[in-house]
Amino acid sequence: MNPEFQRNLWLELAPARILLMAGFVFCVLAIFSAAPPALPGPGFAATALYYFLVVLWGTRNAALSVIVEIRERTWDFQKLNAIHPFAMMWGKLFGSTSFVWFGGILCLPFIIYPVLQSRGPSMAAAELAVLILQGVLAQSVSLLTSLNLIRRHHNNWRLDAFLCQVTGIIAAFAFGFRGLLSASPQNQAATFSWWDMALDPQSFQSVSLAIFTAWALGGCLRAMRLELRLSNGPFVWLAFLAFLALYEAGFESWLARAIPGADFARHAGVFRLAAAGISLASSAYGMAFLEPKDPVQFRWLIVQIRSGRIARALLALDCWMLSFSATILCTLALAFAFWRDPQSIGGVSASALILPLLAALGFFTRDIGFFVLFRTWSRERGDFAAAGVLVVLYIVLPRIAGPAQSLLLPQLTAPLIAFSAAWAEAAALWAWTIVRIERRTG
Amino acid sequence: MARRKFSDQLTSMIKIRNLVFEYPTARALDGVNLDVAPGAITALVGPNGAGKTTLLRLMAALETPYAGCITIGGLDTRLEPRAVHQRLGYLPDFFGLYDGLSVRRCLIFAARAHGLSSGQVNKAVMDAAQNVGLAGRLDQSAGTLSRGLRQRLAIAQALVHRPRLLLLDEPAAGLDPQARRELSRLLLSLRDGGMTLVVSSHILAELEDYSDQMVIIDHGRVAGGSTFKGTQLRIALAAPDDRLKDFLAGQSGIEVFQADASGARVIWQGGVEGRAALLQALVRAGFAVSDFGEDRHALEELYFARIDRETEH
Repeated sequence: MNPEFQRNLWLELAPARILLMAGFVFCVLAIFSAAPPALPGPGFAATALYYFLVVLWGTRNAALSVIVEIRERTWDFQKLNAIHPFAMMWGKLFGSTSFVWFGGILCLPFIIYPVLQSRGPSMAAAELAVLILQGVLAQSVSLLTSLNLIRRHHNNWRLDAFLCQVTGIIAAFAFGFRGLLSASPQNQAATFSWWDMALDPQSFQSVSLAIFTAWALGGCLRAMRLELRLSNGPFVWLAFLAFLALYEAGFESWLARAIPGADFARHAGVFRLAAAGISLASSAYGMAFLEPKDPVQFRWLIVQIRSGRIARALLALDCWMLSFSATILCTLALAFAFWRDPQSIGGVSASALILPLLAALGFFTRDIGFFVLFRTWSRERGDFAAAGVLVVLYIVLPRIAGPAQSLLLPQLTAPLIAFSAAWAEAAALWAWTIVRIERRTG
Repeated sequence: MARRKFSDQLTSMIKIRNLVFEYPTARALDGVNLDVAPGAITALVGPNGAGKTTLLRLMAALETPYAGCITIGGLDTRLEPRAVHQRLGYLPDFFGLYDGLSVRRCLIFAARAHGLSSGQVNKAVMDAAQNVGLAGRLDQSAGTLSRGLRQRLAIAQALVHRPRLLLLDEPAAGLDPQARRELSRLLLSLRDGGMTLVVSSHILAELEDYSDQMVIIDHGRVAGGSTFKGTQLRIALAAPDDRLKDFLAGQSGIEVFQADASGARVIWQGGVEGRAALLQALVRAGFAVSDFGEDRHALEELYFARIDRETEH
């Protein structure tokens, strides 16, 4: 047996704990079975309990599987063993959550049996698969987040565990919410449009869930490899970005609906690029917040580039750097599409959108710079400080800035000012950042 | 490309060349060059913040060098970190244990995690427990062990897979005198069994008991070092004599590490009879020898002499 899995089983599945969990689950279900018909039955209780155990509690256990090792100073010992990164990853993921999975599995028959009775075995199997995948996705996203957070040497394990839990829970329910939106009670028979294809919303949700779970597990493996001092190279993350961009580009009709008067059919390509760009920018912001942005790595990269070892530098780029570069490329492609498009979009000439778009790119470049700059001041609080500055810049200041909003946001009314301000701010911020990194200040 | 094997036939178990390591705001190691002979105990000494722990972590392939390289048994720590991990044992200065597991389970996990097969695990666990004197406590929970016993368990975990190289960061910290003596004996027995050990410590008098080589780290550089394969002798003269340094340098089997007109400190490679012959030679040469004997504080004095010299520079 995988030694890491076995170690977790020793700690998690002691006989007394197994009995306690079984007793707890059956007590809760017995209480709801005996409840009056007006109250929710055991099926509802089992579903709620399953999510409580597997998603809410499971995400915490998955995150703590690594964070506690750092806190208890056992992680160095783990890193020095001979366990393969994949075995270490699944040993932690499923070992640390074995206790909550035990409870969750006890709930599953009470959830699945009514579906089997009312909708047949295929729907019951699909329901079972979705429930299990939601649990695995939530826990693997939580573990993945924790593996990224520990690289920042944050020293606040409670905050780290909370952040991991939040990301895991959001991941688990993101697909659920999307499914609910598309298959609302008023529109049960509606199909779902993705890349102009009419798809069954529930099937789309299930397949998406399975694919994103696979990506999350792959991410965990990559993060574990990094922890075990193995290098990853950029290709898997680039493949994920390509997948993400293509996946989100399929939702172009959703984006078109948000712009009054936009002719979706005429501008499908533009909307697809925009949707892809938004997803790439989101990944850049997310990874810029999560990853360590180590100034030493920056210095090393600068030395490699100056000495002409470009390929070596490119292979060592962090995920946020790749997301940042991909966002720039996608935005430039979108600007090119605007330039080539003679039609107006939502009443605005496409070419008039180029400058605001490039201004947005400047503000995005500045924003990522904040994360790197603030990291040179504080390893522990830099990312939160940068996030706080962005909240002030995008939410608080525009409300009080009045006509000076162009200095903070891309504006259709004063595009040249916004463009100039954005790129001046970005250039100044990055110059300051590079000076601080090279001078080893902190 | 064929993967290189961990070599048994090496002149240096650890080879460090031009090693540089940086933290975000400071350079922790700056151009370190070092060779550690196989089958020896090397003491890593230096003031707090000198870079000893960083150097040990780099040797253990837990950190990646900014520049330069480290090879452990012929394996580059940057290129083959996992191969290096499997072949060494490391005890950090602040270590943790799985307090919820018994001593036996801690050791079984350590053995299995280091790739030992099921057939090898039980013997390895018993050997490691016996080595550190924990054979009678195998079913005790790790969380209930005293500081000294926890230290022993951590060492047992580090050596359960019989690594060729053992790195120990402040292994005697927090131990009582009896436990320290037992630790010294354990380290010597491991060395005699063919293991290479690198030990970082502040307790210089104890390092003297078991170390073969001392390396002084200061301000991220190797500030000096010496070998201790022999007896450390102290020679004092009643009347100063300028000839002493040259006279000692001309004797075979002697390494002079400090000498002036009034006395000297040397490493003597010969046996007891040779020592008697050396004393006779000194007297015959006209030196007024007032003190001649083993020097129990040579390492400490050498350390402070080197550190003082660095500070002056």
